[in-house]
Parts: sequence; structure tokens; C-alpha cells
Amino acid sequence: MSHTALATRQTAALAWRSIITTMRLPQAWFPALFFPLVLMAIFTASFGGAPGNIPGFPPVRGFLDFAVCGAIIQGVLIAGTSAGAAFATDIENGFFDRLVASPTSRVAILTGRLGASIALGVAMALLFIGIAAMFGAQVDGGVMGIIVVVIIAALFAAAVGGLGVYLAIRTGSSEAVQGTFPLFFALLFFSSAFFPLDTMVGWYHTVAAANPITYLVEAMRDEVIGGATVGTALSGIGIALGLACITVGASAVTLRRSLRVGS
Amino acid sequence: MMKGLAVSFGLAGRNLLLVRRVPSVFIPSLVMPLFILIATAGAFHGIGALPQFAGASYLAFTIPMAATMGAGFAGINSGMTLARDLEGGFFDRLQASPAPRMALIAGPMFAALVRSVFTTTVVLIAGMIGGVWLPGLWATLIIYAFALLFGAAASCWAIGVALRTRTIQATPIMQLVVFLSVFMSVAYVPVDALHGWLGHVATYNPVTYILTASRAAELTGSVIWSETWPGVVAGGALLLALAAWALVPLKHLARR
Amino acid sequence: MTRDLVREYKGGIRAVDEVSLSIESGGIFGFLGPNGAGKSTIVRMLTTLLRPTSGTAIVAGYDVVKEPDAVRRRIGVALQDAAIDPYMTGRELLRLQGVLHGLRRAECRGRADVLLGRLDLEDAADRRVATYSGGMRRRLDLALSLVHEPVVLFLDEPTTGLDPVSRVTLWEEVRRLNREHGTTVFLTTQYLEEADQLADRVAIIDGGRIVADGSPAELKAQIGFPMLSVVAADGSTADDVRRVLAGFGEIVPGGREGGASVRFPGGSAAMADAVRALDIAGVRFAEIDLAEPTLDDVFLASTGRHLEGGDDAAA
Repeated sequence: MSHTALATRQTAALAWRSIITTMRLPQAWFPALFFPLVLMAIFTASFGGAPGNIPGFPPVRGFLDFAVCGAIIQGVLIAGTSAGAAFATDIENGFFDRLVASPTSRVAILTGRLGASIALGVAMALLFIGIAAMFGAQVDGGVMGIIVVVIIAALFAAAVGGLGVYLAIRTGSSEAVQGTFPLFFALLFFSSAFFPLDTMVGWYHTVAAANPITYLVEAMRDEVIGGATVGTALSGIGIALGLACITVGASAVTLRRSLRVGS
Repeated sequence: MMKGLAVSFGLAGRNLLLVRRVPSVFIPSLVMPLFILIATAGAFHGIGALPQFAGASYLAFTIPMAATMGAGFAGINSGMTLARDLEGGFFDRLQASPAPRMALIAGPMFAALVRSVFTTTVVLIAGMIGGVWLPGLWATLIIYAFALLFGAAASCWAIGVALRTRTIQATPIMQLVVFLSVFMSVAYVPVDALHGWLGHVATYNPVTYILTASRAAELTGSVIWSETWPGVVAGGALLLALAAWALVPLKHLARR
Repeated sequence: MTRDLVREYKGGIRAVDEVSLSIESGGIFGFLGPNGAGKSTIVRMLTTLLRPTSGTAIVAGYDVVKEPDAVRRRIGVALQDAAIDPYMTGRELLRLQGVLHGLRRAECRGRADVLLGRLDLEDAADRRVATYSGGMRRRLDLALSLVHEPVVLFLDEPTTGLDPVSRVTLWEEVRRLNREHGTTVFLTTQYLEEADQLADRVAIIDGGRIVADGSPAELKAQIGFPMLSVVAADGSTADDVRRVLAGFGEIVPGGREGGASVRFPGGSAAMADAVRALDIAGVRFAEIDLAEPTLDDVFLASTGRHLEGGDDAAA
């Protein structure tokens, strides 16, 4: 079997393992589903009066349409942090060492984990869209729109996954990785994930406008609420891809370095 | 009775000492209300344009919510300390002493109140930095009072959970319930702006009345009894119910 | 005076099964038994931490169920390990204990200082407990249990896990307490040497029941004679040894591996006879020794098993 074929099989196997272990541990998947969905419900009920009554609010069918993508990004973020913590746990309890000592391709260790993150990100995006649809939301961009949303979600999942792996290798502690979650949560809030950018004022507006997540979410959101163009779709995908490249690259470098040192 | 008070203060003192000694447990309860204030007021600033706000500043609207939430999380820390003591065995020593059983609860709760004062102050100061001045002496005291009321209720809740589960792993449960109790309420908009199911849930949620009363003080700058009494009644009922929740397992402490 | 008539029953399984004891005040009472025998459960019941399912216990003159507070005022409790808060200093914990017992502030301070001195903790008094060694923690635990000058002191496995030096120091302190203050001491242990050395009276507990009760000397005397143990060498078997030794006395069950043990009335004087008998029978042996009965023997005789950890005490 060629080297790449073997690496691919290993990736798939490791990805599958990550997915299974995540699903078996409620602490791993429950927060990623519970919090975004609950917040989505609360925001929709609280801000239902916003569309049409607030200057700067884009035209939408209902607040739910507006909120779905923010929820997806939030879910991917939470899931990604759990994934990083899981990777750190693997390091802590020696599973990682066992992988390294086996003929597993070094690349597969990383791509396996990322593959799982991407798969779960896609599943989450589809799930959230489905749930929102049950409550009356509609995706303006149709099937193509859903595809764009899913692609961006998948790339963002890879980005967060990569960051999680990076932190896991650098800190070696699942507690430390979990501890970073509040920071990312803050980052999410300082964007337009939950409310339109144009309604913000002052320094908050400045910060949110500089946050790449803002543009990511808006690219996704435009597919749902309308107003998307090829340009917005590509820029959203581009940003997500860029973030993914940065974090995955950093994690790959750190992984190689730690393997060489033999930590 | 006097001895009970002395014991309570002693235990409260120890709780507060732990704040300085184990910052990692307590820093979240300081940073969190601050974050909620800033993130909520900043991200959802636009919603203030809704007619139900009657032109009020959204930052001013959010201050009572952040203060109350912060007090709630400060209250939970009492439950966490108790859970740690139960798990580690230090509570055995407390239990084997002749200290009145009530004092074992009153002490941590008192510490929670002190911490709630602290978190509320932080929120108010942050509000001032953001341009919202204190709404006058009595109104400010009302805001503190409601925050403390909620903080006491939250600490009773957490203490009850700790006594029943006896492990620090129950912390997420303590936090989740407090979190949801505020969010399933008028956290972001006034009650007449709520849509659908949340409108129903919020009317049965005591926290709604606490927040509404606190906001009335904050936004009008004065204490109007008709605005305030629902909060007092709801908050008082909540506190009594949760105090029972905390005290009942105390009687059966020796059964385990 | 601690007079206990105790019958207890916990959960679906009887952790403590109809235990009755009577303990004289002013003495040191030892409760010996392997892990899981029910010692801790009994201590928890006697210190009002656990309700007996049935039966009564009277400690320091008061019923633990009916008047727990009165009991608590008179007892000192030092339970197994972590009954201390790692984030506080020794002095702070002692003062807090004083407050819990209702002592006035000045009294709290005074008692704390006195006990820190007596238990040799003055240097570490203002450091956090997390930095204390195991021996120091036990001493602090003991100090905490003495703040209010209790009439009865309960120690649950006070030296488990301690190094030999700390163990001896603790024994000294317990003896001194008993001698100088007349404190009744109730201690549980899995170390037979500890029970042997410290206790005026010992009760041996196994599986929730008392299997022996008396002073260490009495109990050992019940077993009676010293025990001769022989271990077979190459060419001979344990059965060979047993056959020969059976002629001298009662074989003790559970003897040494690869050998046998027998109650040896003859004592040292008759040892030569035993050696000759083995020689005549052609039994080769690698080891032979004569030992005075120990509490482990008492335990063995009552239960057919050795006391776990009984050989652990660094003699």
C-alpha cells in the first residue's frame, strides 16, 4: 500500500475514533449543543421585536433566521475547545505516546483529529439549520446557500480544531485547554455573531469590525437571510480558510517539534 | 444564639480568606459580571431603540442584570467551598464540633453576601466608566439589596446541591441553574418586549420581578414602592424556598 | 466514663453488627482490625457523625443520638487524613476550631499558641497546611482535636502512612495526654504494634463484629503458649514438618509458607527436643524460631486469618 493511501486510512480510523469518543462522553458534546441552542432560543424570544424596528437591522423574516449562523459558530467553537481538551487528555494518559510509537503517519495524527472536527462541524451546522427550519426559519440562498454555510462551518471547525491541538501540545493539560474557552467565548461576543454590526457604537463597534469572526458569520448569515453574493461567500470561505491555515500550520509545526524533542 | 453568630462569622471569615488564597476559584466571579456587562451592553446596544425601552440607555438597563448575575455566581462559590470541604473531609471536623448546624450554613452564606457586595460594586464602577452615573443613594441601595437577595438565594441553592452531592463535580449544575434562571427571564429586554414562550416563562420566574424592580431603581433614580414590591415578594419567596432546600439535608446530615 | 452499648446496622449490609463495648474512663482503648472491618464506621457513630441504625451509645455521659451537642462539647476528633483545609495556616485553623467550640477570641488565641508549642508546630504555624509534611498534618489534626480540652479523644488510624519516627512521636504525645490530663483515648488502628504498645485494653474487630476483647496481656495469655515455626528446606515438605511438630502441641492454622507452626508449651527449654525430633525423622529445615504470642496470633486464633498490615510496623 502506498504511503499516502496508508496515511489516509489511518486518518480515517483516527477520525472515527475521535468522533466515537466524543459522542460517548456527554461532557464533550452536550455543551456544544445545549448552549448555542438555548441562547438562540432566548435571543429569538427576547429580540423578536428587533427586525424592522431597529435602525441598522437587516431585513429578515424573523430573528431566528438571523440567529442560526451565530449559533453554529458558537457550537463549533465549544466543540473545538472540547476537542483540544480531548487531545490534551490523550497526551496526559499516554494514548498519544502509543500513537507515536506505532507506524502511524505523523500527519495522520493531526489530520485524524481535524477530520473529526470537520465532520462534527458539518453535522452541527446541518443539525442547527434543521432545528431552525422546524421553527420556521428558511435559508434564502437555497441548497447552494446551505452548502456555503456548511463549508464555512467546516473550515472554521478545522481552524478551532487546529488551535485546540496547538494549545494541547503546548500546555499538555486538558484543564488548561478548557480554561481558554472563556477567552474564545469573549471573542465571539465581540463580533457580530449575535447582533448586527451596524447597531453597535463606539469602541465596541471598532473591535467588532476588526474581528474576523464578524465577516465569517456575516458571510454565512447572508446566505440565510438574503443579500449574499459570490463575493461575500468567497470572502467568508477565504477568511475561514485563512484562519484554518494559520492554526493548523502552527499545530503542525508544534507537533513536529514535540515529536523531534520526544516530549 | 450569640455563639451561633460568632461561629457564623468565624466560618464566613474563613470563606473570605479563601478568596485571597485560592484566586483561581474566585476570579471568574469577578471577571464574569464585568464581561456580561460589557459584552451585553456592547453587542446588543441596538435593541435599546425598541419602544419598550422608552429611550433608556441600554448600558443602564444592563447594569442590574450584570450585578444580579455576578451576585448569583458569587453565591455559588459558597456551595463550591462546601462541596470541597465535604469531599475532602474538613466538613467532618465542622460537623463533629458543637457549632450550631445553622451556623455551618449561615457562615458561608454570609461570605456570599460580602462577595456579592464586591461584585455589585465592580459592576457599578464599570457602569460609571461607561458613562452611567449612580442613580442616587436610595436607588443604588435598592440595586445592592436585590443583588444580595439573589446572591443569598443562589448560595442557598448551591449549598443545597453541595450537601446532597458532596462533590465538587456538581459545580456545573450549580452554575447552569443560576445561569438559566437569569436568562429565562428579562435578561435582555423588558418583559413587554418578550415574545412567545419566553414571555410565559418569564412571568413565572421570580428573577423577572427582581430584575424589573432593580432596573426601575436604576433607570428612574428613585425608589417607587409599586415598582419595587413585586421584586421583594418574588425574591423573598425564592430565598425562603431555597433556604429550605439548603436546610433540610442539614438535619439528615448524620444519616449518610 | 464512656459506656457503650452499641448495636449498629448500616445500609443493606451490616457494616457494624451488634457491637457492645464498655470502656473505662481515663484509659487508652484500642480498636484493632483489618481494613473494612468497621472501625471507622464505629468511630463515626460515636462522634455523632453517623446515626446508628439501632442501639445506643453513651459517650462522656451523654447519648450520641439524643444529646449530640453535649457529646460534641466533650469529645475531640482526629479522623483519617484530610480533616484539615490546605489553604489555611495551622494557627488559623486552630483559632477557627476554638470559635467553633464557642471559645472567646482571647481564649482561642491562647489555646492555639499553647497547642502549637506542645505539638512542636510553632515554626510552621503561619505557613499554609498544604506545605506541611504528613507527620505535621497529623500533629495539627491532633492539636485541633484538643482545642477545647476534651474528656474523650477519638483517633481514627492516627499513624497510618506515617514514617516510623513520626509514629513514635505521636505515640508519646498520646501517652502524655492520657497520663497528664487523664483524657480517655479511643483509637482505631490496623497496626497490631500500635495497639499492643499504646492500649490498656484492646478490642479486635473483624467484619463488623468484635472477636476479642481485653488487655493486650490478657488476650495474649489466652492464646497461651509461644509459637514454634519451622520452614522446610529442600528435600522436605511442609507436611513432613507438620507431622513431626504435631507431636509437640496444637498445630496453628495458617502457619508459615512452606512450613508449619505449633503451640509449643515447652518453650525455649524444649526446643532442643523439637530439633532432635525433626532430625530423627529426616526432615530438613531452613528456619526455625520460637515467638511469643502476638495480637496477630490472637486475631488468627479468632478468625483464622492474619491481620493485614500487621507486620508493617517497623519494629
